[in-house]
Amino acid sequence: MEEEWEPPLPAGYNETNRAFLQAFIARGTLTFREAQTVLAEIKSISMEEQVDPASIEMEEFSEYIKMAREAVEALDFDIRLTRRQAGAGERVWVFINAHSDPPTQMATTHTAEEMAYIKRLLDSMFEEYNTQRMEVMAVDEGQALKVSRPPRSRESGVNGRPNGENGEGAATPADRGLKHSEVLSLLSSLVAEGWLEKSRREFYSLSPRSLVELWSWLVETYNDPEDDWQNIKFCEACKEIITYGQRCSVVECVARLHDICQDGYWRTRRDKKCPKCETAWDGKHFVGERAVTSRAGFQRGRGRKSGGGRRSDLADAIAAQQAAAEDDGEDMED
Amino acid sequence: MPPAQQRRRRQAAQEESDEDVRQRSASPENSGSDGDERMGGIETDETSQWIKKLVRYALACDFARTPIRRDGIKEKVLGRHGREFKKVFAGAQKQLRATFGMEMVELPAKDRNLLTADQKRKAAKSQSQKEPTSNSYMLVSVLPTEFRTPTLPGPSRVASSEGEAAYTALYSTIIAIITLSGGELSDPRLRRHLQRLNATENMPSMNPNDNNAPNERADAVLQRMQKQGYLHKNVENKGLGDEDSTTWHVGPRGKVEVNHEAVAAIVRKVFDAGEGNEELEKKLQVSLEIQEGKAALAGVAEEEEAERQEANGQPGPSTRRRRRTRADAEEDDEE
Repeated sequence: MEEEWEPPLPAGYNETNRAFLQAFIARGTLTFREAQTVLAEIKSISMEEQVDPASIEMEEFSEYIKMAREAVEALDFDIRLTRRQAGAGERVWVFINAHSDPPTQMATTHTAEEMAYIKRLLDSMFEEYNTQRMEVMAVDEGQALKVSRPPRSRESGVNGRPNGENGEGAATPADRGLKHSEVLSLLSSLVAEGWLEKSRREFYSLSPRSLVELWSWLVETYNDPEDDWQNIKFCEACKEIITYGQRCSVVECVARLHDICQDGYWRTRRDKKCPKCETAWDGKHFVGERAVTSRAGFQRGRGRKSGGGRRSDLADAIAAQQAAAEDDGEDMED
Repeated sequence: MPPAQQRRRRQAAQEESDEDVRQRSASPENSGSDGDERMGGIETDETSQWIKKLVRYALACDFARTPIRRDGIKEKVLGRHGREFKKVFAGAQKQLRATFGMEMVELPAKDRNLLTADQKRKAAKSQSQKEPTSNSYMLVSVLPTEFRTPTLPGPSRVASSEGEAAYTALYSTIIAIITLSGGELSDPRLRRHLQRLNATENMPSMNPNDNNAPNERADAVLQRMQKQGYLHKNVENKGLGDEDSTTWHVGPRGKVEVNHEAVAAIVRKVFDAGEGNEELEKKLQVSLEIQEGKAALAGVAEEEEAERQEANGQPGPSTRRRRRTRADAEEDDEE
């Protein structure tokens, strides 16, 4: 009875679609430029003549995406479109597992200790370094190292602060955590695997891929529906999770906006006021690493050591953030 | 797409897929002539759920380069319906081929010679005449071979990022060396080869751009290659105080992914020879195809070149120089 069943596939699905899907899965994400290279190569092979990547049009790519999506949908995979939050907002297509959380997603390639660390890292990104006043949602290396080991019950001063841990740490008393060297190589492999991104200023944050893939897990884990304040917030314009962008200058207000979304957004509005609390929107209050780097303290730190090595930049960043946390009352330059 | 809409879509997609299953079972099967009657609606539903799960499991395993184990399938996919294995496996193969252009192939069973003395005794006792099976699988591409390029890496391979490329180059090179040395290489010899590749102490990490860890310790990389089944390290303890009984072999995944054809391609690349180079082709033929018969010679052959020259009856003084070129070429390849 094994022969009669045929997997459902979109009409016209052929070798080139399969090759495209393989390349997509291997990468996890595709930008249009990457897709042009891939498709040009596939077409060169199937048509037996050289195809220029630049000749691949968006339309053709979309057709491949559509077919791939139809083919994998029934298997609980999906393809989503998102945009980079920083820079020019490049569009990124992400191949995802429709049911996803960090354990199922990363457990295959990481040990239990590493998974526990990743959870601690996410906690520090979205709880500890995501306060009303400092919505960084990114960590520098020093902060990433701070959570190398699970918090101890005794006050250690550094990471003794319990950060809303819901039994995760306590459940594995045998977890000794990771050595600093292990953390560093784990971070680098998470960057290589496309889960984390490391910015020019050396902040680690979740990649577009992670944000898409872990969307519901993040909201479920870090947001309390009862609460007015939400750890995970969404862009007023595109409704995607925001970890890099602008915020309302009122600290209690949860209105957020991507830099890449702002032009379009303000065009549709009469005045440049916060859509939630009507405060004038100055575009100078940030979420993401700029919550740290726009601070006077951070910039002073950088200026003093201009031309210094990376390490000193990092030390400055940490110092600046600590300083900023201390003089939280006096706000940014305005 | 706004997230709300996405979620709706996602849900819709799930519902659709459930519906698909039902539709599929309801629609008349086009190819099957017999056995249709046996396909009760409920059973098909379940079967396609299992097939879906197995496909997902296979992809997940392979992504991590862990073998897809039969036991794992039974445990994670089928649960107490282990008896359905054959049917579900066949369905999953079909789905993998049709959708992804991949299929599961069984990994070669562990070489008899590599079993420990204890395992050998056990094997001898049970003395089943059946071919030894590994009961583990990996995914391979079933697309035409032209589709295997660095841009289109096929299953088991995580993109063509720089780190991945370096890693692939390293394990492929090591496998090629081991294969051409008769499938076995002593530890000191492997180290000597690594020295020529300037990879004794450190190898590029999976992310060479990262300033924190541009390199990884060579032993850590070798360990990963073992864990992922590219290499197999055999340590035989000959007794007190004796050392030097560590030998390196090609692991099951290595045998499938870097097969003899791939080894030949590496050699051609390294020697910068197209397929037209008859002399080289002849040597490759000898070294790769008549491998089994040469097992006895292999222990003597110190180098792949030496071996090939033996085959050609002219161990030349140029060996050293050629080795250098090869090492250089490989280094270039990796960069």
